[in-house]
Amino acid sequence: MSRISGTLKIAILAAILAAGAIMLLPPPAAAQEEVASAIRRYKDREASTGYYEEFEVRPRRGRPFVEVPGVRAGVFPYSPSAAQVRNRYRLADSHMGIAFYKEKTCQTCHPEQAKDIHTVRANLTCRQCHGGEPIASIQYFNSPMNPVRKHAYICAKCHEGASASFASYIVHEPAAGSAKARTGFPVLYYAYWFMLVLLVGTLAFFIPHSLLVGLRELFNKKRTTNNDAADAH
Amino acid sequence: MTLPTRIKRFSVLDRLSHVFLILTFLLQTATGFSRLYVTTVWGKKVNTLFGGYDTSLVIHEWTGMVMMVGFVLHSIYLLTRVDWRAPVKSIFGPDSLVPNLTDARQFGQRLRWFFGLGPLPGFNRWSYWEKFDYWAVYWGLPLLAVTGVMLMYPLSTSRFLPGWSLNIAALLHRAEAILAVTYIFIVHFFIGHLRPSSFPMNEAMFSGSVPMEEAIEEKPAWVQRLKEEGKLESARSAAPSLWYRRLYFMFGYAALIFGVYMLINGIMHARQISLH
Ligand code: HEC
Ligand code: HEC
Ligand code: HEC
Repeated sequence: MSRISGTLKIAILAAILAAGAIMLLPPPAAAQEEVASAIRRYKDREASTGYYEEFEVRPRRGRPFVEVPGVRAGVFPYSPSAAQVRNRYRLADSHMGIAFYKEKTCQTCHPEQAKDIHTVRANLTCRQCHGGEPIASIQYFNSPMNPVRKHAYICAKCHEGASASFASYIVHEPAAGSAKARTGFPVLYYAYWFMLVLLVGTLAFFIPHSLLVGLRELFNKKRTTNNDAADAH
Repeated sequence: MTLPTRIKRFSVLDRLSHVFLILTFLLQTATGFSRLYVTTVWGKKVNTLFGGYDTSLVIHEWTGMVMMVGFVLHSIYLLTRVDWRAPVKSIFGPDSLVPNLTDARQFGQRLRWFFGLGPLPGFNRWSYWEKFDYWAVYWGLPLLAVTGVMLMYPLSTSRFLPGWSLNIAALLHRAEAILAVTYIFIVHFFIGHLRPSSFPMNEAMFSGSVPMEEAIEEKPAWVQRLKEEGKLESARSAAPSLWYRRLYFMFGYAALIFGVYMLINGIMHARQISLH
């Protein structure tokens, strides 16, 4: 009897320790969750295979009205006539009907987007990510750039194992100190200003400080200093 | 009892750490800037020196890891320097680099001294700006280490943090690097080399000792304290030999020239690059 309770004790202890060890693990970050489906969640790695079920590709609940991302959604966000305006943020071909599109390079119309690391340093062409014609709008629900599958269709081509979280890296980040970053990417904006203030503050303090020390010592070299040692106690 | 003519200021370990930091920091500056400026002609040249865009990154990453190990070892060393029987007294005491109220007061005195309104503050072992020098590195290094590791393993990072944290990491890494480089190559080098009282070079960190007159002039309270504690005799130290002086003068000036070269070119080409 006593032997059984001994094993039982050990088992209970082990269970408690295991539970404790699990508690010590960090909680799953948002990054570990798959954004693809409200119904099913795929594991991180599976998502990178690019396999998705058909229903995920359609917009959620199939809203009848056109929306602009970032604008308040509601039952009737737009008047019926406004809903007929072509919204380039949701087009299968984002350049549909743009005059002289064929004669121009991407950079002429999108100079801001040509400043990212991938373009400037890694020498990628726009099409290595955005693909051939037609270039769909980012939010178009079948677009390979759509945030639900961007990691698998685009990033994983080069970054093996890219997850949805990884793909939330902003490729075309706004200029860090700009007003656009303030609304679009506030963490970047405040990180930038924090570092700038730190840099300017440190230099604005220590450069004059060093110069004054230098100047004063230059003129003071011969004079004896008042070594008031008791002062420092 | 005759006063020693030179007293010890830095242990061998302190000096080795300093040389370690110089070498790794300069290497990181060179490889880091060569990548940051790779879109400019100058950056390309420096980059080629380190084997191109990819190889320079490998060097940068390994040097960074070596620095991190150095940082951890140094932190352990710090813990051994605390007198654990009286931790508060030793952490806020005059031998510690932790800022305390005396520093604020001495800074006030220093301001008055600038304009001839008062005497030079009687500094103890560390003056407030020496402390700042130290802590600037001590907080900069972990920040660069954390953001550096994030950028080194972007995929693993994005398992724990959202991917856009990589945008932030890249920004912080570059901004902190620029802050460190400008601070070291302007302020630290000015204090170490160009300041009239240390021109042509402040040798203390290399020779490990300072002449007595200099110590009395710059750190009167420290000398006074050593005297009172009867430690002055044990701090007696020999003058560095000639070959060793030659060596560290060359080393110091090489570092200075290198730093100024990096800084000037960095500023000259700053308009041609963006932080991302
Ligand atoms: C004639 C000018 C022009 C050219 C050339 C051009 N674009 Fe566009 N592009 C536009 C306009 C106008 C829009 C509408 C949305 C906007 O203003 O950002 C647009 C939209 C887009 C969008 C969708 C934006 C979103 O928010 O969903 C992408 C992606 C895009 N362009 C990529 C490219 C790429 C890649 C190229 C080169 C192959 C290119 N564009 C060439 C004018 C142009
Ligand atoms: C590394 C892959 C990549 C490359 C290369 C790339 N883009 Fe993009 N682009 C993206 C992603 C991802 C988005 C979605 C929003 C984001 O992350 O910035 C995007 C968004 C856009 C948009 C929508 C507006 C915006 O800023 O969000 C335009 C326009 C665009 N890209 C144009 C271009 C042009 C022009 C080029 C070539 C100079 C280019 N892209 C190169 C990945 C890329
Ligand atoms: C065609 C290949 C290719 C594609 C597609 C691609 N990348 Fe990259 N990416 C690169 C290369 C090459 C680098 C290295 C750039 C460098 O070191 O300067 C890189 C670097 C990065 C970095 C590190 C940036 C830094 O500051 O060090 C991130 C983050 C990143 N990519 C995210 C993405 C995301 C998110 C996508 C999908 C939208 C993507 N990439 C798509 C080739 C690609």
